[in-house]
Amino acid sequence: MDKPLNQIIQNKVADFTFVGQKNIKVVDEVYEEDSYWKQLFKRIAKNKGSVFGFIMITLIAFMALLGPVISGYDFDEQIAGHESMAPRIPVLENLGVFDGSETLKTSTGELVVNKYETIEGGEEVYHWFGTDVLGRDLFTRTWIGTRISLYIALVAVIVDVFIGMSYGMISGYYGGKVDNIMQRSVEVLNGIPNLVVVTLLIIVLKPGLMSITLAIAITGWIGMSRVSRASMLKLKESEYVLAARTMGAKDISIMYKDILPNIFSQLLIMSMFSIPSAIFTEAFLAFVGIGIPVPMASLGSLISENFKSLTTHFYMIVPPVLVLALLMLSFNLLADGLRDALDPTMKEV
Amino acid sequence: MKKYILKRIGMSVATLLVIVLVLFILMQLLPGSPFNDERLSIEQQQVLMSKYGLDDSVPVQFFRYVKNMLTGDFGKSYTISKNTDVSLLLQNRLPTSLLLGGLSILLGSVAGLLLGVAAALKHNSLLDSMATFFSVIGVSIPSYVFALGLSYLFGFQLSWLPMLYNADDGLRAFALPAVALSMTVMATVARFTRTEMIEVLNSDYMQLVESKGVSGIQLIFKHALRNASISIITILGPLVVSLMTGSLVVEKIFSIPGIGQLMVQAIQSNDYNVILALAFVYSALYIFVMLAVDILYGVLDPRIRLAKEGANG
Amino acid sequence: MKKLNKKYLWLSGLASVLLLGACSSESTDEVEEPVEAEGSETDEQVLNVQLDVEVASMDPQIATDGTSFEVIANIIEGLYQTDSDGKAIPALVESAEKGEDGLSYTFKLREDATWSNGDPVTANDFVYAWRRLADPDTGSEYSYIMGIAGLVNANEVLDGEKAPEELGVQATDDYTLEVQLANPVPYFESLMSFIPFFPMNEDFMDEVGDSYGTSPDTLLSNGAFTVSSYEPAATSIELDKNEDYFDADNVVLDGVDYQVIKDSQQAMLSYQNGEVDVVTLAGEQVDLFKDDPEFVNVQAGYLWYISPNTLVEGLENENLRKALATSFDKQQITDTILKDGSVPADYIIPDGLAVGPDGKDFRETSDTYLEFDPEAAKESLEAAKAELGKDTFTFGLVVEDTESAINVSQVLKSQIESNLDGVTIEIEQMPKKTRLELMKQGDYDLGLTRWGPDYADPMTYADLWVTDGNNNDGSWSNAEYDELIASSINGELSLDNEARWEALKETESILMNEAGVLPVYQKGNAVMMQDNVSGFDFHAVGLPRVYKFAVKE
Repeated sequence: MDKPLNQIIQNKVADFTFVGQKNIKVVDEVYEEDSYWKQLFKRIAKNKGSVFGFIMITLIAFMALLGPVISGYDFDEQIAGHESMAPRIPVLENLGVFDGSETLKTSTGELVVNKYETIEGGEEVYHWFGTDVLGRDLFTRTWIGTRISLYIALVAVIVDVFIGMSYGMISGYYGGKVDNIMQRSVEVLNGIPNLVVVTLLIIVLKPGLMSITLAIAITGWIGMSRVSRASMLKLKESEYVLAARTMGAKDISIMYKDILPNIFSQLLIMSMFSIPSAIFTEAFLAFVGIGIPVPMASLGSLISENFKSLTTHFYMIVPPVLVLALLMLSFNLLADGLRDALDPTMKEV
Repeated sequence: MKKYILKRIGMSVATLLVIVLVLFILMQLLPGSPFNDERLSIEQQQVLMSKYGLDDSVPVQFFRYVKNMLTGDFGKSYTISKNTDVSLLLQNRLPTSLLLGGLSILLGSVAGLLLGVAAALKHNSLLDSMATFFSVIGVSIPSYVFALGLSYLFGFQLSWLPMLYNADDGLRAFALPAVALSMTVMATVARFTRTEMIEVLNSDYMQLVESKGVSGIQLIFKHALRNASISIITILGPLVVSLMTGSLVVEKIFSIPGIGQLMVQAIQSNDYNVILALAFVYSALYIFVMLAVDILYGVLDPRIRLAKEGANG
Repeated sequence: MKKLNKKYLWLSGLASVLLLGACSSESTDEVEEPVEAEGSETDEQVLNVQLDVEVASMDPQIATDGTSFEVIANIIEGLYQTDSDGKAIPALVESAEKGEDGLSYTFKLREDATWSNGDPVTANDFVYAWRRLADPDTGSEYSYIMGIAGLVNANEVLDGEKAPEELGVQATDDYTLEVQLANPVPYFESLMSFIPFFPMNEDFMDEVGDSYGTSPDTLLSNGAFTVSSYEPAATSIELDKNEDYFDADNVVLDGVDYQVIKDSQQAMLSYQNGEVDVVTLAGEQVDLFKDDPEFVNVQAGYLWYISPNTLVEGLENENLRKALATSFDKQQITDTILKDGSVPADYIIPDGLAVGPDGKDFRETSDTYLEFDPEAAKESLEAAKAELGKDTFTFGLVVEDTESAINVSQVLKSQIESNLDGVTIEIEQMPKKTRLELMKQGDYDLGLTRWGPDYADPMTYADLWVTDGNNNDGSWSNAEYDELIASSINGELSLDNEARWEALKETESILMNEAGVLPVYQKGNAVMMQDNVSGFDFHAVGLPRVYKFAVKE
């Protein structure tokens, strides 16, 4: 047990030597006088994961825009007779997959059904992701839902950056009474379960995208403020901050110019994490019945909706779960790339 | 240090009181009354309102509530379990939920730490990618999908573990729900540990320790992890909150008699006293965790302790 | 203890074998089956039943929901109980005497019934329980049923004008109960099988006070089962056979275990695992189980309808309401969305609710109304547009946030919008309590709502829509309707059963022809029941399920 670990440590030592070499290279780059953003871009581009993440997000966003247009169905169009149809995709259907047939595990034995063969004119019908219990095209609904979830992701990051980060930094930086008052208020706000605050808000405002946005704005930033405060506490006593202060730098300038770049990476990761939690807040609201109003869809509400058919029509829950998971994976990989590019202490690793 | 802790506890109690007040005011804004059943006439509703003292002015109700609360009396449930003391409901259900939550945190933290440390040590390797993949899956799929999946696989197909909660099964009954709930914890902790560990492992301080000849397990767990854990502790608070949300759903799927199920029901049926009591319990729990985090923080990082003691007198 | 139990079980198993052998001479198979099971611990006949919601109260005068009623009915017995055809048959009553004018009843109680604390069940227990039900201080949500039963002074006691002691019920001796009615109530005996009229033991109530029904120790039983495990809002409840029950010889089960499972897929998995014997299916799963021999479709009394708020601009127009009512395909809703045995409702008095003086079900002899007819709907809409001078209408539709209500509302929206040009429906989903509040305040356009019958008579529905009625959310009003209802309750019509029956048919036709409410479907339940379970009744009215005579082999 000891040995492999020792090796690990040795590997680490090797890492450290490597570090030094790269540092020199960066100095060179500065001499080339590339702009800050150009450098950044170069560094991000070196990280395969982040490139993958970026491409996936672009692709998903692209599909969210285009998918509902090219599917040939409306997201709320209920086609009588088309209820609960399994996916059928041209070309692939010839290979024996996605040909619209599904196996129902009925209590009296397994039953293979293909609704495309039994409905009138079914030969010409294609539902790439299948249909839901009301006969709506899931391909269209998945991409419509992605739009909403991307919007919520955007709201979450904006709220995190503008409210959470500033709140935490100010609280941590000034400390003392300011910190005390700000932290007590956060505790009161956070101490009340989200569910109560959000439910109340939505019942009072009527369910809708606006109320969900507001609900996330009111409660979503608290986690971020905690992390940014903790980071601030760690850094504000460091030598370079003391140095900046002795040189007469203003508080705002110290916070945003000296400290922020050092903690931004960590905060960015945290804000990437608030994306799933925001999307889940929305999904949770859908679960208790006060999410995005039907027949509109979000990835979260699609999962909640199709969850009820998990043991009967498994294929229904797959597309939203897959898109959501892919979206999260991409955001995480991109976040990693961004951190590596932004954080001066870690860029060489 | 003692003085600081005492002061911190005092503050927590004050915060809780403010929360009760805020909750009480929020509750007044909720539309609908618990007695709007179709079968009740307006006159009967009035009778019920006055029976439960809901027609008194808000300040009167508030002080009566706080007074009773101090004696452990949270009022009566109006709709979920009619005419029953809320404290009785809590007494039956709170321990179950706490146990489930505790198990999930424990399970998730241990798994997350191991995953995170492994990923950090083998940074940029296949293992790292695998760890990232696992943690991404963990945060990307809602816990109720896990819950049903686990229940289907281990409960139904393999019959290894009970699918439904039964008090007679003891800890076994918690196995599946705790695993389902711990996925988010595991993922979050793993992510955070990885980042922190990479940072710590690269610090000058670690190079110093290393050069002193400290090796292997001791190096990682005593020195590196200790430093990394300072930041990890800060996410415990938000994690507890996310567990609360998760438990609402998971409790329903496994039929666990916990407070999560109770909360959803209470909100949907306007059971004011139950909402208030549960909101209070959740708040108290959260504040307790934050208090513990703060104190731990001080123990683990002397610089912060000093700073705080200075700031708070 | 365990060993002792086994021995006892073995004995009781033997006894039941003898009993079965004695009863069923034509079948010899049945004798063998219990013998096979002997010796193992599972030979106890315990029925495992899934509930989808917790019991809200074990107190007969406080409980209001079907689940609570179901559990209470297993432990407490009333004057009457419901048989497999939904008719009232004597339970604690030995003989009943009805006054000639229909204004009084004298009930003789059986003398061998006891409470589980040893006290006999007496007429005083009923007097106590009924006064408790009517007393405003009890805060019973079902107290109004006392007024429906028509007891002398009932409404005055409910409003707090008279003391509960003045209610028209007395115990002339321990086993004689006398009731005075203010007007004849044709369904009085059937009402007596309804839980709020069940007896309570006054001494025991004084002893436990407010804590009644919070644990097995604070519960008293006089019925087929006693409670061995219960706590408020419990997710599992255990009942044991009551050996002191007067009819214990006819109870075969050794116990009933309830398990609350809210997620229908989980419930189904547990059923397939054999953990529960009886389970209710939700829409999608019906596809997988409908061919199973264990699958049962049960009609329930609940009727779902859309209540139009006639005070909202546009909805005061009869033609527009008719257009809406006939523009959606009810068959599609029941067949492709609900799939649980629900049937389209072209009426407002449910099928299987009540049998008239002619011995026939109400629906058998009455018409249907407002059938799905897109062409007629378009015509009505054109007429409405001309009358109102308006071409587009937008209405909100308030629905509660249950899976079925949301799915149904989406189909309603889609069909109404595609069949009626210019009409837009906006779905507003919310918790049930909020929906009820909005509808009571008249703060809505259209509301998808339901009503469950309280007693086996069309009046349980018909009196909802009288002018200023408590549940007439849409404020629909018709003088002739009001008159017919008033007369049927305590006027001339109440004295003539046949004329009253005809009048009730007349009221339904008035309401439907004006589209005062828009019926959608009558609820059905899809149930899976293990094939070794039998003797189990389902009812549309009052008690949903009765277990007394259930058998699990």
